[in-house]
Amino acid sequence: MATSVSFPVPGPGPAPVVGTAGLSAPVQASLWSDAWRRLRRNRMALISAVYLVILVAVALVALVHTPYSYREVGVARPYSGPSWANWLGADILGRDVLSRLMVGAQISLIVGVGTQVFVVAVGVPIGLLAGYYKGTVDSVVSFIINVFYGIPDLLVAMILLLLLGPSLNNIIIAIVATRWMDMTRLVRGQTLALREREFIEAARSSGAKPAKILFGHILPNSLGPIIVQATFGVPAAILFEAFLSFLGIGVQPPTPSWGSMAADGLAAIRIAPHMVIAPSIALSLTLMAFNFLGDGLRDALDPRQKR
Amino acid sequence: MPTPILQVKDLHTEFLTDGGVVKAVDGVSFDLYPGESIGIVGESGSGKSITALSILRLVPDPGRVVSGQVLFHDQDLLQLGGEEIREIRGRDIAMIFQDPQSSLNPVLRTGFQIDEAMLAHNKANRKQARQRTVELLRRVRIPAPETRVKDFPHQLSGGMRQRAMIAMGLANAPSILIADEPTTALDVTVQAQILELLADLNRDLGTAIVMITHNMGVVAGLCSRVLVMYAGEIVEQGPVEQIFEHPQHPYTWSLLRSIPRVDALRHERLRSIEGLAPDLLHPPAGCRFHPRCPFRVEKCFTDEPRLQEVAPDQLAACWVTMERARKEMGADDLIDIRPGAGSGLRKGELTE
Repeated sequence: MATSVSFPVPGPGPAPVVGTAGLSAPVQASLWSDAWRRLRRNRMALISAVYLVILVAVALVALVHTPYSYREVGVARPYSGPSWANWLGADILGRDVLSRLMVGAQISLIVGVGTQVFVVAVGVPIGLLAGYYKGTVDSVVSFIINVFYGIPDLLVAMILLLLLGPSLNNIIIAIVATRWMDMTRLVRGQTLALREREFIEAARSSGAKPAKILFGHILPNSLGPIIVQATFGVPAAILFEAFLSFLGIGVQPPTPSWGSMAADGLAAIRIAPHMVIAPSIALSLTLMAFNFLGDGLRDALDPRQKR
Repeated sequence: MPTPILQVKDLHTEFLTDGGVVKAVDGVSFDLYPGESIGIVGESGSGKSITALSILRLVPDPGRVVSGQVLFHDQDLLQLGGEEIREIRGRDIAMIFQDPQSSLNPVLRTGFQIDEAMLAHNKANRKQARQRTVELLRRVRIPAPETRVKDFPHQLSGGMRQRAMIAMGLANAPSILIADEPTTALDVTVQAQILELLADLNRDLGTAIVMITHNMGVVAGLCSRVLVMYAGEIVEQGPVEQIFEHPQHPYTWSLLRSIPRVDALRHERLRSIEGLAPDLLHPPAGCRFHPRCPFRVEKCFTDEPRLQEVAPDQLAACWVTMERARKEMGADDLIDIRPGAGSGLRKGELTE
């Protein structure tokens, strides 16, 4: 709260009355705390966030402890259903499904989050440059984006995985190659709009360097949309990885992926449906959680919402 | 006579549009002396803002400064490289804009943005910059500057935001401050405070001010000299009192006449200038003001007048000038100031 302080006024003439009434700062401190307040009121987003925290915890626990080794065969009778010893049953080789599901969570999270880290690392700078410098840079970038949109995702991913070999890193590279365009285009559009704003002109007129204008002024103003886009990108990447693994060109055995677990289970769906149901439910819940969270973030970070 | 700190010589700025070339600034020349404050007055679209932006080479696309010189300490700003002009911006010549609402970055704290203005020119480290920011905010009379530095722009009132913008402009102690309609977006009492602040800074810090405005009252309060722009050209310039008392260009005269007066009769009509500002894609031949001028003569339709001395220190670009219009056309008694009203020269009546 601004207290009334009188300041020496140079020169003759009455001191101008500097208003102190009605100028008290609102309680809200920033855009972020504002957004956080709105996000907390979104029940689905909150439930999703809790689910995802649990999922991350499970994945972390799986690093040091799983009920059984995910790769040890014959810990139970093959195809056996859920029991006290094996909560989610066993698979075709008698491996514990719960243990494999926990390790699969690691894979899904690494792929989902890792992909978006690289998508942001690639898409944000390129989008900023294309949007800010326009002209030739933008034409070239837009052309490349359109070429990538023109080739089917699956084709790009399959070719890359054939060339590079199906390791976890290469899966991430392959998914980034099919997903970087959305982020680039979003940031480019944001930059195109923001560069015409008066505060950018003001920054330029105060002698700010181009790098400062891009990363210090334009980027902070597009963080909201970037975060939302990245959040929606995580489930898309997880689904794509599951799909690639389902087809057998993703994560290679014996490392479990929710996609390959479902594929394994499909052959035995009549006698052991739990083998398909367990990874499918895990996958669905995770995808839903990320999407609800993304929705919540979009509403919370929307500057037009002033509730 | 001191040497000018800034000399603008025959500046031409054009916009290449689909419809053709718009000459937004067409041969503007003026000098600015150290510590002086001049006003550039004109209607919207007269080229006053573009003149200011041209000085710092900030003309937006598709605009280009096509010719002329902007001499700052004998250095032509129009010839500098990108990095060199960036160094000048904010350090030697700073600018403040019309709308303080939109000229501060909404997601960054106000104090941080002022710090940045200093850091951009390596004038201080972060700690020194913050100290100076607090001093500057106090200098522009923002109460409790120690806490205000941490506020976001939306937490400040319009007047305080403009004060913060001025503080940012002053951050590097520039020798010239260009103010592009800094009071237009503010309400009247706040306007007066901002103008008083600028006048104080001009007097105490010796910062030369270029005030761009469409408001004659603003000029009267702050400036010692005034340039009147019309359709990309300077039509009259001189000391403020002289221009106010004895305007020689009919446009200046009409502008001054159109200021609403408190002592006007209750039902007296507001005096506006008839007609519209000219389309700069197809500027009128001869004097650009002739389609709206009450005192035009035949020559005005064909020949373009040059700026020439009409009184000591006072230049006007007019074939007639108000002195003659008063004597011969009864300008002072004229109620109807429609185009050609004084000279009786209506459009169709011109003999080719």
